[in-house]
Amino acid sequence: MSQHATATPPATETHQEPSYLAVSNVTKRFGAATVLDTLSLSVGRAEFVSLLGPSGCGKTTLLRLIAGLLAPDQGAIEVGGRDLTRVAAHKRNIGVVFQNYALFPHLTVAENIAYGLRAKGVPKAEQARKVENALGLVRMEAFADRAVTALSGGQQQRIAVARAVVVEPSLLLLDEPFSALDRKLRETMQIELRHILRNLGITSIFVTHDQDEALVMSDRIAVMNEGRIEHLGTPSEVYARPKSLYTMEFVGQSSRITGVVKGSSESLVEIDTPFGMIRAPGHFLTGSKVVVGVRPEAIAAGEGPAGEYNTVRGTVAEVIYFGSRTLLHFQTAQEGDRLHVELNRLPDTVEPGSAMTLRWRVDDSRVFPAPTEAAR
Amino acid sequence: MTLARDDLAVPPTPVSRWQFDAKALIAAPGLVFMALAFAVPVLMLVGDSFVDSQGLSLAGYRKVLGDPYYIGIIGNSLQLACITTAVCLAVGYPAAWALARIKGVWQVVLFALIFLPLTVSVVVKTFGLTIMMRRDGIINFLLVNLGFIERPMRLVFTEFSLYFGMVNVFLPFMILPLYSVMRMLDPRLMDASASLGAGPLHTFLRVTLPLTMPGVIAGGTLVFSISVAAYVTPGLLVGDRFMTMSQVMAKAYLNIRDFQLGASMAVIMLVISAALILASSYLVRSPGGEKH
Repeated sequence: MSQHATATPPATETHQEPSYLAVSNVTKRFGAATVLDTLSLSVGRAEFVSLLGPSGCGKTTLLRLIAGLLAPDQGAIEVGGRDLTRVAAHKRNIGVVFQNYALFPHLTVAENIAYGLRAKGVPKAEQARKVENALGLVRMEAFADRAVTALSGGQQQRIAVARAVVVEPSLLLLDEPFSALDRKLRETMQIELRHILRNLGITSIFVTHDQDEALVMSDRIAVMNEGRIEHLGTPSEVYARPKSLYTMEFVGQSSRITGVVKGSSESLVEIDTPFGMIRAPGHFLTGSKVVVGVRPEAIAAGEGPAGEYNTVRGTVAEVIYFGSRTLLHFQTAQEGDRLHVELNRLPDTVEPGSAMTLRWRVDDSRVFPAPTEAAR
Repeated sequence: MTLARDDLAVPPTPVSRWQFDAKALIAAPGLVFMALAFAVPVLMLVGDSFVDSQGLSLAGYRKVLGDPYYIGIIGNSLQLACITTAVCLAVGYPAAWALARIKGVWQVVLFALIFLPLTVSVVVKTFGLTIMMRRDGIINFLLVNLGFIERPMRLVFTEFSLYFGMVNVFLPFMILPLYSVMRMLDPRLMDASASLGAGPLHTFLRVTLPLTMPGVIAGGTLVFSISVAAYVTPGLLVGDRFMTMSQVMAKAYLNIRDFQLGASMAVIMLVISAALILASSYLVRSPGGEKH
């Protein structure tokens, strides 16, 4: 059970050419703080990869290193087989969509989009044609001559995307581009942007701290923590088979049950927990302290066949009603351990204090080594 | 998360242009003071420029604008102001940039180095310069002993010493407005420019310079309009060899007692400065400055 990220991505059919972008053993320090620690990442051509993590995990630093806006202390960055580690940002042909869009306030919408074309010496007539295409791509044709400062957040976002893709970059980097938009607009823009980038076939690296955004948009997600990649995988791999407790808890909801391994057979371990004996797939030495993680939607009410299911009894601590579903919290003796259960239909009468029987598939339990005291 | 919904912002209530706003009354003490200390004397000055011992006359203006000697002096002042402004801009722009980009203790140090000289009187600074530039001063001492020149050369009372002294005095007035504009400049705009393939020079000409132009105009106007009226520094560093408009005014009032001449020269200087300030405020508002 490796707790930390491995350099090579798991082989999936989505990337035949696994290293269009290759970040190898990159380290970046700011003063005494190591922000990125020998980090490696490979991304296939036309792939959409999200860097997901809390603020301060190094995801924006990694983005700036790839863009050439920062230089790594160690390691190398290659795109399409070309070593870019010491190449200046303006010679990399890597597009960036910034968090606040960074549109040029003294230029109109069309001038903003033409900026990169002009810098690259594209002839005037071709500039005009490409700007028009780019405006059409983001459905902003009517705004060509407006001042960018007169646009709303969503409109500015579209122009920022158009400006970045019009120069046909070899790689597109997006730094939390939706964070300034309200929820409804954000959801629309996520789907639209993904659609645009798919059609253009641009390899994209997307930085976000929003797990839902990462799950919705990505081909693969790199979950980052303290300057390292904890887990790199498809959204379903990251969600359903997280490689670490950190990934399990950062991506999606989960319950945490601490316990001690009492025995193991073949590929199953038996764990003594405050809820009783729980079985889970994995290999651990008898006596090791572990944490069992379960997704709330994997848990159902009532008993199941003993061979395939873990069955526990618990006392309801809280009932949280969401309309389409209900979340129940179950108490245990262990401080901090709470079993979160998500039910689509509430059985008869459930209120705090009532006892319930719950079950989940043995295969749906994930076991991780218990975090050491120092790490918590 | 309604932060970005700028389309929901409340539009300002339409106010008739000339409707009186009681908030304006707060400016009353300042206005009264300026009326007594500035407007009244200026009006008296303008009046003086149209009057001689016989009554109404344009003799003062005829003298100043008709005599090649005085035209030359106006030229001197304009040349002095132009060169001082240009050198201040060339030296001050990078300094202001550094000031706006640096953080922490170094910013404090830079600030002190640039603005502490403002607390020293112009007279003291200029005398200091003349001491430094004398034949037995430190500059000549260094140049001779390092073998650059054979014998001490003349530095004081040259135009070089004048420009040197002027830039020394007026540089902070260029840096301050530039700094305040550059501080507001989002560094990501330069990152965006680079990511779009623009090299440093292209970025400077197409992004940095246009966006800092309001600071260039403000600093340029400030330095120009005070250096065109400079009196102490030219007087101490070159004296009568390089007459400026202010020196003519002082002479007219103090020595030859030709009040009309002094007043006429003063009004011409006032017109130059006022025209410049009007032009600069127009420039800041028109395209090329900030867009609204």
